[in-house]
Amino acid sequence: MTDIKNLIPQRSPIMMVDELLEAHDDIARTSLNIRDDNFFLESDGAIAEPGVIEHIAQSASAFAGYNAMQAGATEPPVGYIGEVKRFRLNRRPVKGETLVTTITMGPTVNGVTIITGETVSGEETIATTQMKIYVAGE
Amino acid sequence: MLLENKYYKVLRARKDSEEKAVYHIAILPDCSVYEGHFPGNPVCPGVCNIQTIKECTSLLVGKELRILSIKQCLLTAIATPMVCPEVDVEVEVSESGGKYSIIAIISDEKRQYMTFKGEGV
Repeated sequence: MTDIKNLIPQRSPIMMVDELLEAHDDIARTSLNIRDDNFFLESDGAIAEPGVIEHIAQSASAFAGYNAMQAGATEPPVGYIGEVKRFRLNRRPVKGETLVTTITMGPTVNGVTIITGETVSGEETIATTQMKIYVAGE
Repeated sequence: MLLENKYYKVLRARKDSEEKAVYHIAILPDCSVYEGHFPGNPVCPGVCNIQTIKECTSLLVGKELRILSIKQCLLTAIATPMVCPEVDVEVEVSESGGKYSIIAIISDEKRQYMTFKGEGV
């Protein structure tokens, strides 16, 4: 939809979203292709579990960045993970796979937003989680 | 392991039992992750601290663990290589049928940065 660097503050080597595919109301979808230079890639060709968590967090960040841009912001907001809850991982994604993640954003109270994320590869669910995200300066 | 001697370095370990240990680690300020998290504003990625807990737990149990689930992980303060150049990673595990329940805390003398409850295999 727009250059991902306008939507998230993270930069190489820890950019874990390629694209915001769609965003409307409280739902957004993102994608990430696991490439050779992924920061979380392990020697067996799969990424470490926290890499999936970071991908989901940055997906929420891209959604927040998109909403901020719609509201007139020029810089993507910096958000921090406050809590990871009920994270389940079915398997680690491998090099070459493309992950698609759906973020559902809950209400924001005192700068804290509760989100849920589901990551799939094709038809297969890779991970699900809840998260609390804090946005700096709010 | 992915982040050992890259993101952190174990300075000393105190093993209280087969199921409990404290790893005193240095957070390495020159890790490449800070080039992107965030440019000009180095902040420890919470997920790197989760990976560090996983790797310290792997050291305790003597095999490389995988995280299956996280019941709850609270990030209670922002960690940076300047704010907390050295921290304690306190790990406690209990094993049942090949699965490990993991409880961990990252802290220094000033504050707690992370509490973690999850399962690994």
